[in-house]
Amino acid sequence: MFRALSRVSTAGFRSLARTRTGYSAPLASRCYSHGKVETDEEFDSRWVTYFSKPDIDAWELRKGMNTLIGYDLVPEPKILDSALRACRRLNDLASAIRILEAVKDKAGPHKDIYPYVIQELKPTLTELGISTPEELGIDKL
Amino acid sequence: MSLPKPVMRGLLAKRLRFHLPIAFTLAITAAIAFKFTVTEPRKKAYADFYKQYDAVKEFNAMREAGIFESVRPSGE
Repeated sequence: MFRALSRVSTAGFRSLARTRTGYSAPLASRCYSHGKVETDEEFDSRWVTYFSKPDIDAWELRKGMNTLIGYDLVPEPKILDSALRACRRLNDLASAIRILEAVKDKAGPHKDIYPYVIQELKPTLTELGISTPEELGIDKL
Repeated sequence: MSLPKPVMRGLLAKRLRFHLPIAFTLAITAAIAFKFTVTEPRKKAYADFYKQYDAVKEFNAMREAGIFESVRPSGE
């Protein structure tokens, strides 16, 4: 939350004077005093690798997902694909469906994100036999 | 029909960037408005009251009302 805030405030003060046309991805404009800024692709591949560990254990899956959900982003379909395969290796269908619920929640008011993610994950979901919360009827309160 | 890829990063930052300045402005405006509609009139009311306040006159009025024990009304 505070990282998002610092990102906004530093970017905001700097761009206060100029117009906001073509504003680039906030992640790239993080204000480090030193240290390399990680690109979106590096971030994604790091997380795909994390979940691709063949002998990943349940704790690491939960830890990874919780950390990932803490970021100011909706995870890319390729990261989620890797996480769902990790669930398959751990025989954890519940976590797989929970991951889908978490993605929908992370999207918040942006209703176009979840359908897109499901569209991208459809082959994986079919292959692994994972039902979506909607198919199970557990998306309604 | 295949859905296009939406923006998936920095959504909170974008929201804060829009709403935080508004929030701070409204909060500060509310504080300023409260100051000038409530606290300043209140302070002025007290100041005006005490500008013409005659402590001795008030004391004698209270004395005659008989509320003190240390000094009785002038009649007794």
